[in-house]
Amino acid sequence: MKQFIATACKELLLLRRDRSGLLVLFFMPAVLVLVITLVQENVLKTMGETGTDILFLDQDRGMVGQRMTAALSEADGVVLVNTLDGRQPDKATALQAVARGDFQLCLYIPKGMTSAVKAKARRAALRALSMTGESDDPSPDAELEVYFDPTVMGGFRSAVKHMLHLMVMQIEVQEKLDQVAVLLPEKFQSALEEALGPMAAGMPAGSSPDFNLQWTSEPIIKIREASALETAAVKMPTAVQQNVPAWSLFGIFFIVLPMAGSFIKERLYGVEQRILSMPVSYLAIVAGKAAAYMLVCWVQFGLILIIGKVLLPLMGSPAFELGSAASLTVVLVAFSAILGATGYGILLGTVARSYEQASMFGPISIVIAAALGGIMVPVYAMPVLMQKISVVSPLAWAQNAFLELFVRGGDLQAVMPQVALLMIFASACVGTASLLFIRRIRKGRF
Amino acid sequence: MVASSPFALEIDDLAKLYEGADQPALDGVSLRIRRGEIFGLLGPNGAGKTTAISILSTIMQPSSGRVAVCGIDSLKHPRQVRRRIGLVPQDIALYPELTAWENLAYLGRLQGLGGRHLKARIQNVLQAVGLEQSAHQKINTYSGGMKRRANLAAGMLHEPRVLFLDEPTIGIDAQSRQLIMEKLQAIKKSGATIIYTTHYMEEAQQLCDRLAIIDKGRILVLGTPAEVMAGHPHCDNLGELFLELTGRALRD
Repeated sequence: MKQFIATACKELLLLRRDRSGLLVLFFMPAVLVLVITLVQENVLKTMGETGTDILFLDQDRGMVGQRMTAALSEADGVVLVNTLDGRQPDKATALQAVARGDFQLCLYIPKGMTSAVKAKARRAALRALSMTGESDDPSPDAELEVYFDPTVMGGFRSAVKHMLHLMVMQIEVQEKLDQVAVLLPEKFQSALEEALGPMAAGMPAGSSPDFNLQWTSEPIIKIREASALETAAVKMPTAVQQNVPAWSLFGIFFIVLPMAGSFIKERLYGVEQRILSMPVSYLAIVAGKAAAYMLVCWVQFGLILIIGKVLLPLMGSPAFELGSAASLTVVLVAFSAILGATGYGILLGTVARSYEQASMFGPISIVIAAALGGIMVPVYAMPVLMQKISVVSPLAWAQNAFLELFVRGGDLQAVMPQVALLMIFASACVGTASLLFIRRIRKGRF
Repeated sequence: MVASSPFALEIDDLAKLYEGADQPALDGVSLRIRRGEIFGLLGPNGAGKTTAISILSTIMQPSSGRVAVCGIDSLKHPRQVRRRIGLVPQDIALYPELTAWENLAYLGRLQGLGGRHLKARIQNVLQAVGLEQSAHQKINTYSGGMKRRANLAAGMLHEPRVLFLDEPTIGIDAQSRQLIMEKLQAIKKSGATIIYTTHYMEEAQQLCDRLAIIDKGRILVLGTPAEVMAGHPHCDNLGELFLELTGRALRD
């Protein structure tokens, strides 16, 4: 135990003096989680994946604005904003805010919109009831103005325009029916007078029909949406929920580089040879070393969680949520990932013959495993073939387990397969490293 | 074998054949080294010196043969043997980013030392090798000679009964070499046994009580420097004898 603690303390002391190693272990994942999350947040925003922020400018203050507000408020993921800095902005200020990317679009209802809509609806109703033969409409056009952030992508732009068209159509139908309801008694009366002549004079005038306009928004034909894949629908993570566990895992697995380096340097310096001649189990030395790096991994993990919880919200992203997962389950997943990383570090430190070999192969293997494991691009966004390949990556196991906990509300049972895989991976690495180590010593290669 | 053996080291028919090798690295080496003796193991590159030191210091298992250190069978009880031996490898087997004190504190704890005793031992060995003033300097700031002396201090820290030194004076200045020679004599006086490999023949002739020249895994000659020279009167010095026995062909 004494030797175990002495080794762990010595390793931490060496790490403290290795500034480049500390940069790799702490600064790199911290910067990556910040940059990638903010970039992805922005990309998802331009694609409408994060919801739609609409700056709503109503200069008309009439029926159209009220109905648009009501309809948009009910739409999923739409946030309507009417004021900037506590007051309603003018059109130029609103457009500047959209151009800056503060909002994806601005909806502008010009003054006189409601009266124009009513006039046009009345004319349309008159024409429909053949009460006027005029086809030219002298009333001004009712134009709803939409201004998009230039970075908003085409698909999202079309979706928003389509949504607005549906809302406008609903308002139009409603207004036209209102006008029809008003004009219909007049039409009946004139039809009666025409058919009955003077006899119709004594007949009571019909009252306006009261249309229940609820039916205009009740679809007759429904559209069912489903995945072309036979897999069950999976809840997708947001940029924050994806990146915080992803880059903390990347940082954790990057521990293999300094860890392997530590084994290699000891071998090259001859320290390993000296230690092997001492009355201490080499297992205690390896365990002490692993304990030091595991401690570093826990600090890394905590640091990235704090960045997700505290720093990212300060930079405009949503805060990282741990979800409903039990803390012990999160700790178990993190522990198994850390165990996998340290196991791989021990293996790399045993296999690599020089620090150069380890510093080339280690990061490359981690970057490939991270790419396959959905660290850089979520697995669901990969082609099917790559999704199938991704199951071989330990980072994928760990990331899936974290997403299960943080995004899909999974419990211990749900993450046990991934935890088991990571433990098996760690055991396989340490077992292989032990065999290779014994073989190397037998061959006299110190 | 018993622990009361008068020999620090008993080697019987020791052999080592590495996997895939045609020739054995050690081929039937038998040897007795008395307690308190300085024994020189000389040989060209690839002669089997480092293999012998590795087996004697329990790092490596021989293919066959028997080794006892201070009467304890090192193949059966390596942990017990390790408590009694010290190794000064050919490389500077220390962490360059740590100070001499930190290196010795760590290695001392691995040897089972601790507390005030460890502190006293560190001070003692650093003083012995003349590094007490630079104890808190990192090893990577040391000169070659200082590094060699720190390497020796690490081997002496736990007061081993048998000290193995693999070319401890290679590539250092005359002053550091002289100091190391003096320290080895002092260790011998304390009753410890030193097994020592070197390429410096005059150093071996000056320091060793007995020596063996080995090549291709076999002992070619064994005895005190005077006995060895007496057997080859046509050789003026140990260097000439060494070349005569091992040949003038270059070794890799």
